[in-house]
Parts: sequence; structure tokens; C-alpha cells
Amino acid sequence: MSNADTGNTARAIRVVIVDDHAIFRSGLKADLDPAIVVAGEAGTVEEAIAVIAAVRPDVVLLDVHLPGGLGGGGREVIAGSVPLLGTTRFLALSVSDAAEDVVSVIRAGARGYVTKTISGAEISDAVRRVAGGDAVFSPRLAGFVLDAFGTAPADIADDELDRLSARELEVMRLIARGYSYKEVAKELFISIKTVETHVSAVLRKLQLSSRHELTRWAAERRLL
Amino acid sequence: MTTTVSRPPLVRGGDRVIAGVCAGLAGHLGWPVQMVRIGMVVAALAGGAGVAFYAWLWIMVPTADESARRNARRPASPIAPAVSAPFAGPYPGDHPDRAPVDYAGPRDLPPLSPGSDFAADSSEQNLPATDAAPQGPAAAAPQSWPSRVRSMPYGKEILLGSGLLLAAGILIARMLGLDVPLGTLIPVAAILGGAAIAWMQLDETRRAGLVDKTKADQAGGWARLAAGLALVVAGVLVMVSGSGSWEQTWLALLASVAVLGGVALVLLPWGLKFWRDLEAERSGRVRATERAEIAAHLHDSVLQTLALIQRRAGNEHDVVRLARAQERELRGWLYRDPGKEAGQLSEGIKAAAAEVEDALGQAVEVVSVGDCAMTERHEALVQAAREAMLNAARHGGSAVSVYLEVTDGAAEVFVKDRGAGFDPDALPVDRLGVRESIIGRMNRHGGTAAIISNPDGTEVRLRLPLAAGPSATTGAADNGEVRL
Repeated sequence: MSNADTGNTARAIRVVIVDDHAIFRSGLKADLDPAIVVAGEAGTVEEAIAVIAAVRPDVVLLDVHLPGGLGGGGREVIAGSVPLLGTTRFLALSVSDAAEDVVSVIRAGARGYVTKTISGAEISDAVRRVAGGDAVFSPRLAGFVLDAFGTAPADIADDELDRLSARELEVMRLIARGYSYKEVAKELFISIKTVETHVSAVLRKLQLSSRHELTRWAAERRLL
Repeated sequence: MTTTVSRPPLVRGGDRVIAGVCAGLAGHLGWPVQMVRIGMVVAALAGGAGVAFYAWLWIMVPTADESARRNARRPASPIAPAVSAPFAGPYPGDHPDRAPVDYAGPRDLPPLSPGSDFAADSSEQNLPATDAAPQGPAAAAPQSWPSRVRSMPYGKEILLGSGLLLAAGILIARMLGLDVPLGTLIPVAAILGGAAIAWMQLDETRRAGLVDKTKADQAGGWARLAAGLALVVAGVLVMVSGSGSWEQTWLALLASVAVLGGVALVLLPWGLKFWRDLEAERSGRVRATERAEIAAHLHDSVLQTLALIQRRAGNEHDVVRLARAQERELRGWLYRDPGKEAGQLSEGIKAAAAEVEDALGQAVEVVSVGDCAMTERHEALVQAAREAMLNAARHGGSAVSVYLEVTDGAAEVFVKDRGAGFDPDALPVDRLGVRESIIGRMNRHGGTAAIISNPDGTEVRLRLPLAAGPSATTGAADNGEVRL
């Protein structure tokens, strides 16, 4: 880090990359924005928990499938870092298409889920968003959410956990269709901030809902 | 293949009288089946040499199925041939104003997986035995007699008739004064018949054990075993009792049952242990088979693709195409949902996306919510979606997002790209790709299509109501819901 950046270090986002493939880690490191500092790397569950506790990063880029631990992968890393959840946010990365992988890691506490084929710019954007406290939904995750919660809107107030409001459904649909947050905002004539609020609300429902499909996924994987 | 230059392997064929040995031999040697059979019978009369030879072949020569399974080789990678040939695709002119397409019929996309040809080829090579017998000169003859007997409506009756004729012949011979030792002949025949039934049953169970067995097969097997046993026991009994009184016979029977019981008591633990070992070995073999299957799949798909990627490392387009195709194939294999029945709409959309990916080397991400069975109208939706994907992949420049949502009321497909966009109103009138293949097709099937384009990208929205009667069809087409 050069001297010119020192003014920026407070603003720089510190991340830890957790993935068992060194090639993927180095590739991701090269792809990330200069404003994002890789503070540590880990390849197994135990290493990850230790590194995260020592480094206390802003964001952890977490592979869903990891060796070590009790076989729980990324979910176990989040469970092992519970005391840090207030300051450290987790962004799940995976090649897996399986709904239970995605949902399990989100329900464990990850703030977002992106696939590994994502571009460098997109992942940097996702890291910034997660660091800012927002949720990051890939089209696929939005599809899972729509599948799990159903596509019929809730009639009653927003605080019901098992249904999505009409607005949240609209946002999820647009994300599933490949819209960026900006495009969603434009399409629905709302601000980006409002889109982020809706997505965060969906994330909360996804994490807390006892909806049948979600609990079934969880039960099948013995997550409860 | 009329000569025996490349000799088919020696396997027992399906065309069988007893165990298919003669048919297999004939197929292998290229001789007529009848000749082999007659030769075998003549040899059997010559001091039983034929019987011994037959039995030996029966035990040693595998059936066609077994042999095929043993030699079963995996088909070549479904991916490798698809991509290894340099792409000389059907879209030479990558130009918006390309030749009008036949929008009603399926597009002239390359076959989804040329690998299937390979699979067919190799399986043909792997199963020569089933065709081997008819491949010899004997195949020219219409059919060999035993199979004709079986296929004839009264085959069993004719066999029964010949048996009765034989019996009648023996009786006549006795009447004519010839001394036919009927007292020993009948029991011997019964023993031989019972033994034959039991042995044929062994042969069948051996095959049934390799294929997955069904309850019905097992029941039939038990019945045969019981029939064979009953015949043999009756035969022995008659032979033994021929010399003494019934009391003596009963006594002997009791004694032999007691001896058999004692032997069983001694051998039971040993037998049980043997059986358990056999079961353990079998389950171990099942696991090993599963492992081998996974290994074979990875070898044929992933390793082949990796090798291809290394060879074509210089060509980025090819590498991306290979990687995408392999990823798709592996995902399909890993995450396929066995509970989900085939022929669903989401499968159709995914298959169309895969074709576009293969053809243009552009990633097409499909997200689907809900699903329904594919109907003829959905076929039109898939075709229109494919046309939209083709356009998006060709002009969009980056990943294409496809979203399918099936609700109670309608099936909707959204195809989005991030290309420079175009003005739908400024489309040339002759551009049938969009006007006919997408909008016209949707309208004809009672759906709607809209194209929204701006400098950030283009989205094609297709909507097909699920239960559209004829009235809905005309209504939707006429009220001009199309935005273009």
C-alpha cells in the first residue's frame, strides 16, 4: 500500500477470502478493486475461523463448500464466528446450484450469495454493498426465494415472515430477471436505497422464516 | 459382415432350445444353427461326448447380456465431440438481416449432442452378441426351428404331441415283444427331467441376479425348483420302491430324511456364514460399482474436457464454450432431481439455452420459478424464447439472463441482455427473426410478446396464458397488446 492511499485506509474495505482452491483465491485477489484490501486467506474451516477472529475483516468472501471442521463448510465458519457477526459480514460464493446449499448458508447468517462465475467488477460491487450493510442477491438466489415463498403476495402487513409483500416480490422478480439494483429502482420508480431496504427485508425473512419449504430444506440437511 | 473375418465373440445367444449354446457356437463359427445342433446331438449319442461338451460350454460361456455388461465401455464424452470440431456454425452471417428463418419449424441449430451418435455406435459394438447369431449365413435362413416353435401359436402342444408319440412308440414296441424296461425308464426320465428343470433354473437365476430381480421372477424360480425337486424325489422313490415293499420304502425314506436333517444341522452354521460373506461381498461390489460409475463419468466428461481445454488454451472462445458445456453437463448430472418428471417446461427452456450457448459461446443463465408440463403451446413459447436468446447472445455482448416463471395463470419468460440496445420501432420490416419468430409466434398461440430496449440493454418479455381457449387466442392476438 502506497503513501497516497494512507488517507484512504480507513475507507478501504478489508476482506478475508475463504476458499479451498488457492488458484481461485489468487484469481479473486487479482480481480478485486484496489479499494478492497485482502487482509487474510484461509482454506479450511478451522483456518477460516482463526483468521477471521484474528483479522476481524469487514467482509468475508466465503466458499460454501469447505474441507475441515465437522463437514459443515461455510455454514460452520459463520457459526464459529458468531461473536463477530455485528461487525463482520459474510458474502457466500459458490459454484453449487443446489437450493439447500444456498439457503443453508444464508440462514446461517450470510448477507448475500453470488456465483463464482461473477466478474471482478461485480464482485467488488457486491463486497462494497455487503460492507455497507446491504444484502446481495444473485438472480439465482432471487429465484430460490420466489420458489420458496411463492409468487403470490402477502395481503397483510409487511412484518409477516412467511410471505413477501407485493413490492418485495416485484423487486425479487426483477433481480431474478437479471436487473441490477439501479435498474430495479428505475423500473419501479423508487430510489436505490428503497430497493436495498426491500432486499434486506427479504434477506431477513429468508433467515428467520419458518416457512415450510425453508424448514424442509433445513431439515433435510439437518441444519435445525 | 457376411464373412467371418471379424468373428463375433462366443456368447450364448437368445435363440435357445436349452441354454443357447448351439446358437452361440453357430454365431461364433458362422455355421448354420441346425447343423451345429444336429452335430451336437450326434456327438451326444457317441458315448455322451456331446452332452459333456454342451455342459462345459454352458458353464463357461457367458450369455450375451453378461458379456455385454462385462465389455460395457462408456460412450465417448458427450461434450468433447460437440466442441472439439472448430465451430462452423449455421450462423455464418452474424448479421441482423440474415435470411428469413422458417419460424414454424424447429430452427436449424446444430444437434444438441453429437455425442449421442457416438453412444449409439459404441453400444452397437458392445452388444454384438445379440445380433451375432443372425449375422452368420444362418441368418439368411428365415428362422431356426426352436424359435419358430416358440413363436408358433401351438408350439407347446406340438412338443407335448411329440412326447406322447414317443410314449406311444415305446408302448407299441412293448406290444411287439421288444423288452423296454419301463420300470427303470420312467423314473430315470423323471430324474433327468427334474434335474434339467433345476439346472435351467440355476442358469436363469444367475442371469436374474445380475439384472435386477423382480418378485415375479423369484416366484417362478421357486416353482421350478419345487417341480424339479418333486420330479427327482418321485423318480428316486419309484426306483427304490420297485424292489421292496411300501413299509420298507417308508422306513428308508424316514431314515434318509433323518440323515438329511442331521447333515443340514451340521452344515447350517457354515452355510449361514458363507451366505453372509456372500452378501457382504455383494454389497461391497455394489459400492464399488457406484464408485466406478462416478469415476467413469468424471473420466469421460470432465477429464476429456480438461484435456481439450489444455489443447485449445490459445482459443479463448473455444475454452469458454468447452467450460460452459462441461459445467452444464456436470450440473445436470449432479443436481438432477430424480423426483421431477421429464418433459417439464423449465427443461425445455434450459435445453434451448444450452443450444444457444453451444452455438454462440455466450453464457445464458436460466432461473426458473415454478414449472408445468410441456404442451404444444409451450413448445411455441420455448421456440420464441430461443429466438430471443439467440438475438440476445448475438447482440448483447455479455451474459444473457433468462427468467421463467410459471404461475397458475400463465407462463412468462424474460430474456435480458446488456447490449447496446436497439430501437424496436426502427426494425426493418423484413427482419423476421423478431417480428415473426418471436412476436408472431406468441400471438398465434394466444400469448403476447413485448420488446423493451434501451441503451443499457434489451429485454424480451413473453407471456403465455396457461388455459387459453380459442377465444382468448383471438382476443390476445387482436387487441394489439404487442408493443413493437
